[in-house]
Amino acid sequence: MIIEKTGLYDFFRRCQAESLGGFRQVIAPRLSPKNPNVLFWDKWQGDWEFVIDSYRTVDPLRILFYSARERILPAQTDNEKRLIVGAKACDLRALNVLDKALINTDFVDPLYESRRKNTTIVGVDCNEIAPTCHCNLVEGAPYAKQGFDLNLTNLDANYYFLEVGSAKGQELLDLMQKYVKINRSSEDDLNTRNENRQAIEKRLKLQNKQYERDPQYETLRTADLTKWVDEAYTCCGCGGCTNICPTCYCLILNDETAAEGFIKDRSADTCQIHGYARVAGGASPRPKMYERFRNRYLCKFRYMPSNFGLLGCTGCGRCSEVCAGKIEFREVVKRIMSAGKVKESANV
Amino acid sequence: MSKNPYKTTAAIIYDIVEESPTIRTLRLRPEQPITFKTGQFMEVTVPGIGEGPFTPSSSHYVSEVMDMTIMKAGFVTEYIHKAKVGDRIGLRGPYGKGYPLDKFKGKDVLIMGGGVGMAPTRSLFLTLLHDINDYNSVTFLAGARTPADMIYKDQVAEWRKIPKVKFLRSVDKVPEGETWDEDVCLVTKLLTKISIEPRNNPVIVCGPPVMMKFGTFDLLKYGYAPADIYLSMEKKMYCGIGQCRHCVIGPYFACKDGPVFTYEQIKDEENIWE
Repeated sequence: MIIEKTGLYDFFRRCQAESLGGFRQVIAPRLSPKNPNVLFWDKWQGDWEFVIDSYRTVDPLRILFYSARERILPAQTDNEKRLIVGAKACDLRALNVLDKALINTDFVDPLYESRRKNTTIVGVDCNEIAPTCHCNLVEGAPYAKQGFDLNLTNLDANYYFLEVGSAKGQELLDLMQKYVKINRSSEDDLNTRNENRQAIEKRLKLQNKQYERDPQYETLRTADLTKWVDEAYTCCGCGGCTNICPTCYCLILNDETAAEGFIKDRSADTCQIHGYARVAGGASPRPKMYERFRNRYLCKFRYMPSNFGLLGCTGCGRCSEVCAGKIEFREVVKRIMSAGKVKESANV
Repeated sequence: MSKNPYKTTAAIIYDIVEESPTIRTLRLRPEQPITFKTGQFMEVTVPGIGEGPFTPSSSHYVSEVMDMTIMKAGFVTEYIHKAKVGDRIGLRGPYGKGYPLDKFKGKDVLIMGGGVGMAPTRSLFLTLLHDINDYNSVTFLAGARTPADMIYKDQVAEWRKIPKVKFLRSVDKVPEGETWDEDVCLVTKLLTKISIEPRNNPVIVCGPPVMMKFGTFDLLKYGYAPADIYLSMEKKMYCGIGQCRHCVIGPYFACKDGPVFTYEQIKDEENIWE
């Protein structure tokens, strides 16, 4: 199907303004007034333009479902019906990791689950790439293959190619059809979509050519530890990388007394600080900065795949973007993995 | 919505046993009986303050009451050590996997417990005693820094009377003014005083990191197979339900996959002794 852009934007605006479809909030990427390269998630209030065609936002989609500090006892739910427009493939893949971590047989995070249930997500292919984007290095692509309710691909200045990904998406489409003209797509449209996708993918591959690697991530573990000492040299352990990561969800529990009684909050924690895994007796599995630095890489490429069957890195590149020590994630992986290989072949 | 996993069951402290200058046993009566498998742990909440993971030190055949032997080691335990008889605390759990008792049946079971590590192993020991006829023998090697640090002092004499049970104790040193008429050595050295066939028999170890590490090495030297050495791993099991990731040991969650692991399972993981 193809859908006309101005009509679609107008539809999203009416979802917000008139609660079409029962939506109480429309959330979309907003251009930073201070920096034209920065997009961030914001609730649409009617006084700014959607920028859904570009690259990913600076903040991960995760924060719209699982935020920095929230009450868990007494349990809360968030039943406000929301429409998120402009989610990118990297963030949608990250939700798969979070779904496994936060909705499983042992445990369900009620806030996360209720938000997942009450949110409809419209994905949009990346039309631009940020300098740190590297989804192609981690089995991804700059367009979503799953995880969306509806997905849009830029066809030309006036039209999107539209794809339905779920029952929720079909429901939104049914509603949309009452307000926006939607045409059946021709074979040419499909070809244009595929060409556009290939074009952006090609640009991305070129950008990441120097970082290409053989995905034998076990090498990260076997590599000489002194390599990690070198890589972690400018890491100051601030935890910015984990806070901005779309798949990081480690939490700390805060017990407090409030007027209504005893309460418990969960708040974001980071494995980059020493207190993270230290036990009361004083023992700590990762007392040194480089060990904690290395832990994040192993978590993304080894522990999460083992826990959830999914890579913990979706290639959004936000950790490199945010790093106070200017550490480039792709470079670290590349260097460690080539170093590890040398060591292995030397052993043979 | 499913039951909130963070919700606790209130428990009244009906007795407190001061085991050592830093260790006390809280005897708890939960509002509803709590059934658990020995080796599983609970999250103990001091309301409004915080919570921590502790393994019951009582038999899993008792569910109306529960003993928790807790060392003063940090913020939350500081409060636990201020608690008085009649105070209420919160419990949630049990979490994790228990000791695989089925694998111990008919075997010569060796238990090595050091310091407050005798707490989970006492739960196992008492549970084994309940079905003592199912096991060939039960040997407990207990260690502490000094005689004053040795816990469960008043119960040992009774345990030693039980047929098929052997209970040896050692302290690292005897400070002036204290008396001790049993062994003075590291608990791992008690291995030289027993004659258990290590092959195809299980050994369960719980204690401070340094004891776990060198205890395991001594047991391997003694002839135990890595798959027969069961280690109770002390990790920061913050949430108890595989959510917070603080207790991760490589691909495992100590709270869900442990806290008891065989050495075979985790020997290739990193910094397991820290």
